[in-house]
Amino acid sequence: MNKLAVHAAAYLGPEGFGNDLTGLRPWPGPLTGPFQRGELEGLHWSLFSASDPSRFLRMDLMCRLGYLAAELLDVNFDALSDASRDQMGVCVESFTGSLDTDIRFAQTPRPSIFAYTLPSTVIGEICIRFRLKGPVLSLIAPDTRGTSSLAEAAEWLREGEAERVLCLGLEGLNRATAEAVKLPAYLRPSRWHAAALLLGHAENSPRARPLSAGPLVAVCRQALKM
Amino acid sequence: MTKIAVAIAGCGAVAATGLGLKPLQHAVAANVSALRPREGVPGKMPQPIVAGFVAAEIVESLRAGDALHAGSRAYLFAAAAAREAVDNASAVFASVPPPRRGFVLSTTKANIEALDQLVRQQPVSDVAQRHLQPALLAADLAAAFGCQGPVQCVSAACISGLLALQQGAAFLRRGLADMVLVAGVDLLSQFVLSGFNTLKSLDPDGCHPFDQARAGLSLGEGAGAILLTRSELVAPPRLHLAGTGTSNDANHLTGPSRDGSGLALAMRRALAQASLAPGQIDFLNAHGTGTLFNDNMEALALRSVFGEQVPPFNGSKGIFGHTLGAAGVLETILCVNALQTRMLPGTPRLRTRDPVAPDSLLFEPRPAAKLERVLKVNCGFGGTNAALILERE
Repeated sequence: MNKLAVHAAAYLGPEGFGNDLTGLRPWPGPLTGPFQRGELEGLHWSLFSASDPSRFLRMDLMCRLGYLAAELLDVNFDALSDASRDQMGVCVESFTGSLDTDIRFAQTPRPSIFAYTLPSTVIGEICIRFRLKGPVLSLIAPDTRGTSSLAEAAEWLREGEAERVLCLGLEGLNRATAEAVKLPAYLRPSRWHAAALLLGHAENSPRARPLSAGPLVAVCRQALKM
Repeated sequence: MTKIAVAIAGCGAVAATGLGLKPLQHAVAANVSALRPREGVPGKMPQPIVAGFVAAEIVESLRAGDALHAGSRAYLFAAAAAREAVDNASAVFASVPPPRRGFVLSTTKANIEALDQLVRQQPVSDVAQRHLQPALLAADLAAAFGCQGPVQCVSAACISGLLALQQGAAFLRRGLADMVLVAGVDLLSQFVLSGFNTLKSLDPDGCHPFDQARAGLSLGEGAGAILLTRSELVAPPRLHLAGTGTSNDANHLTGPSRDGSGLALAMRRALAQASLAPGQIDFLNAHGTGTLFNDNMEALALRSVFGEQVPPFNGSKGIFGHTLGAAGVLETILCVNALQTRMLPGTPRLRTRDPVAPDSLLFEPRPAAKLERVLKVNCGFGGTNAALILERE
């Protein structure tokens, strides 16, 4: 059986952002605390992509995190064949899910917000962006480490359900949103981050590295030498 | 895929049809709808709302029986369905030690009505708030049923239920558990009703899946539970979960793809995993929301996979509404019922078949000449699709 490998890794969080090629880089400007609303309002879009940000700016917090992390992987998905994209799994895991958007929708019901009140919407955004066809899985976890998604991705690869799998661990909740409804502290994530790993079979590539055991976020930080 | 066969040991349900499997089975046999109009639903939306509400007296009886969780309807519904599934397979359940029992929860919004209360600064109990977080709801349910093995919570829009069954089967096939209790639950709340209302997705008259004059969906609430086990733990005759498949349309966030290719891909993946050809499927339970675009898309997907030989198929959401995260589990229970009774279910509230739908669409229940394998499909926001195959051993 082929061994599994990390083909690419990306991370963004309070400490900075980067991928396995660049390592962690500091943010160019100050971040205003743990997810004050507006922090990602296009501020850093140009760091990640030259594409039109209009779609990005319509997204909610979770989708923005996932979208940025996928861009930050610096993988040319567009160069993949249709057959490869049809065998690209996407697995998302989160403690917080879409709670930030849920609260905003409960405060002000609008159709443009409702579409984002699901933790799986980010999968749709990423699949549309990169024309990926799955398989797909969206998990809500009891913590923010990403404890299950790597195991799921590994099984898809071993069982031949997918050729590659994009795994994402996404956490973020705007402080103002949580405080507006006096959300109990234990329902707020202990940290914000977006961690992305592209997993596949071992290949003869300078970027590929063996997949080590552990939760998604830890494996991702390890790949960035954090 | 390791060849460990996965069997269905027991089922349980709470829905607009009532508490338990029997009222659900009666509704299917009689081809009647439990959708009802209700006035006074909070929020800015047309009144009355036609939906599949669980009766207030059922909620009160569940609350009276579990004071600790009385504030969390999501817990009460899921626990009631899970209890029935376990009771229907009590000897098998007791034979598996707790560390070898897994649990998978399927939900889109868990105990979302607590958020409505928080936003309106109304009193909300600790347990109601705790169960806003789906994984904590899953953990509490798993603990209540002595499931000390792997626990997982799937939240993937309207395919959550089928994904949860897929994950439960995967736990068994990977040797992580000998038995997995899978429960799906969602609530009708101001949040959910106003959300679909803002999208103008609701049919004011109630849904009419695959009908020529369909005008939208009807929401529902409730829970379904299915106990999966390694096949050898269950005495014959056995029903097996033979295969699953998922896909993404990569097309649109809230609307289905126009050509049905994404759903067709999920069906083909399930067929491949089960090593079956399309012609071996005897019955199909569709997603069948009753929206114009969903039902059109499904018709195209069915023709893409089955050609002109589309097997008899139905839509079940006219019975208890679209129960979101519970839908995949509850509708799979209807497929189990069809296999056990050898009766093909009808499509309640269907008046005139839309010509776009294949003519094998079932209006009324009827006995099946042959019913060995059933395909169940669901689709959801974000362009997600899932398919699951059950077969008689």
